[in-house]
Amino acid sequence: MDVITLKDVDKIWGNFQALNHVNFQCKEGQLLALLGPSGCGKSTTLRLIAGLETPTSGTIEIKGKDVTFLPPAKRNISMVFQNYALFPHLTVKENILFGLKARKVPVTERRKRLANAVDLLGLSTLLDRKPAHLSGGQRQRVALGRAIVAQSSICLMDEPLSNLDAKLRQEMRQEIRSLQQRLDMTMIYVTHDQVEAMTMADEIILIKDGNIEQHGTAEDLYNRPETIFAAKFIGSPPMNILSPDANLMKAFSSMLPDGITPESHRIGVRPEDIQISENRGINVEIETIEYLGADTMIGCRFGEQRITMTVKGKNRLHIGDHITLDWKPDHIHLFDAQSGRRLKNI
Amino acid sequence: MRSWDNGTQKTLETIGAWMLGILWLIPIVFSFWSAFHPAKFTTNFDLFAPLTIENFIRALSCAPFPRYLMNTFILVTLILAAQFVLCTLAAYGFVRFDFFGKDILFALVLLQLMIMPETLLVENYRIIKSLGLLDTITGIGIPYMASAFGIFLLRQSFKTIPKELVEAAQIEGVSSLGILWKVYVPLSKPIYIAYGLVSVSYHWNEFLWPLVITSSVNTRPLTVGLAIFAAPETGVDWSVIMAATVMTTAPLLVAFILFQRQFVQSFMHLGIK
Repeated sequence: MDVITLKDVDKIWGNFQALNHVNFQCKEGQLLALLGPSGCGKSTTLRLIAGLETPTSGTIEIKGKDVTFLPPAKRNISMVFQNYALFPHLTVKENILFGLKARKVPVTERRKRLANAVDLLGLSTLLDRKPAHLSGGQRQRVALGRAIVAQSSICLMDEPLSNLDAKLRQEMRQEIRSLQQRLDMTMIYVTHDQVEAMTMADEIILIKDGNIEQHGTAEDLYNRPETIFAAKFIGSPPMNILSPDANLMKAFSSMLPDGITPESHRIGVRPEDIQISENRGINVEIETIEYLGADTMIGCRFGEQRITMTVKGKNRLHIGDHITLDWKPDHIHLFDAQSGRRLKNI
Repeated sequence: MRSWDNGTQKTLETIGAWMLGILWLIPIVFSFWSAFHPAKFTTNFDLFAPLTIENFIRALSCAPFPRYLMNTFILVTLILAAQFVLCTLAAYGFVRFDFFGKDILFALVLLQLMIMPETLLVENYRIIKSLGLLDTITGIGIPYMASAFGIFLLRQSFKTIPKELVEAAQIEGVSSLGILWKVYVPLSKPIYIAYGLVSVSYHWNEFLWPLVITSSVNTRPLTVGLAIFAAPETGVDWSVIMAATVMTTAPLLVAFILFQRQFVQSFMHLGIK
């Protein structure tokens, strides 16, 4: 069942079009990620769903009801902000119960929900502290607690992990995902980190400059990116987008359809799909070697172009070495150079 | 050469500060001296002169100082309460809502800051008279209740509150007034304390306007009562006048000594904003 629906939503600030004809649905119990670079409009979309802004045109429906002009309080949603938005003058307990008190939920019910949230998030020792005396991760949990006790089935998250260090981010990612599944919450999760989106989301909406680039599962976005932008955004290190110059064509023309030109086409291949070959392939010179432990990223050059590949573990290559790179035909992604769109191909 | 200059500068500053401090203290010390010693020792600074509270007794019997004290107390409390309510609501309006004519209105508020209340004496008197509030404590207080200074301070304080907190409260279902009461006001506590101290000390010491408006014992504040008491018609008995003065300034003095830190902090706070 579609719990949240956006139809032809536009948002314009003065002369700037923040969102352009945004259409999507979010199903019940799903974690939907809104992914994109800074300024692409993902936070704006979230705020429109929350009711903190109103769209310039278009409608927003929650559970079948048109909420486009309804204030946030009446939409029955909860939200976790990037900076947590904890009230500095209240203790953790008061912060969590803030909304329940405002909505005049009876005291016994309040206590029950508080105990439940505290249990789930491990906050029992922190209840009397004020936010200033909490670490980033703890504040994050309090913000989550406040969202959970509201017991609204929809939870909106605006880059909740971006202020945490890498290790904590990974822990909290898993915690949030498991919480979402356990409580069967419909969650819309805004992030600029493709790793978060890939690991947590049931579906991802990739947004660029106020337009939806692609809407699909993590697999869809990884295996079949619809545009060059999507291809480069998902996956780390990003996909190599190459111009089919003479060198490339000499080695790979057999794998490609006819009529490929450097002006109108681009070839995409992921670093992890490239192998070092003995015989066939393209000759490159190694420029950089970055050892990561489990993998090594090798930056190479051929002609004017650069190409990155990853190999497992460490190897005996050095900067300046000449090697030959090869890949399989079904790892080639073909794009139109002008529009950036994926072409039906191999 | 430079460190020598710094040292000299520090010494000069310290000496200057001490001199200023002593200069300020002299009148207070004199008034205490005069109040607690019999009349003939007013200018005779004999260290072993006998202490007495006779001056206080006489002062109390000549004029109803307790009544004056109560009037002043009611006056500053009334003004402060009204200011808190009115300035809070006004500042909230300016910070959270956009409405037609907002900038002009705020400019008018700032205009009030530039006008000395004394210039409006006659006009205020006329208005208070037409309201029928002559010679009432309310009448003394009304011109000051919508304080531009208060509105300005609170607006600055409210503006520092991050919008996210407001949004979080909105999503939790709190009404606009609820957000004011539960988020803005608690977070501006230092400003309220600072402003409260400023307002109380200003209105406690105010003289000219209450003199104009009041004409009876029931409404006269301490400042006016003391001035009338010290007027030549009753004779210039310094020790009794000093006793009266000590009685009227003592409450504020004690409050200042007790709350020194808050006073200084609050003025610093205002400066930072």
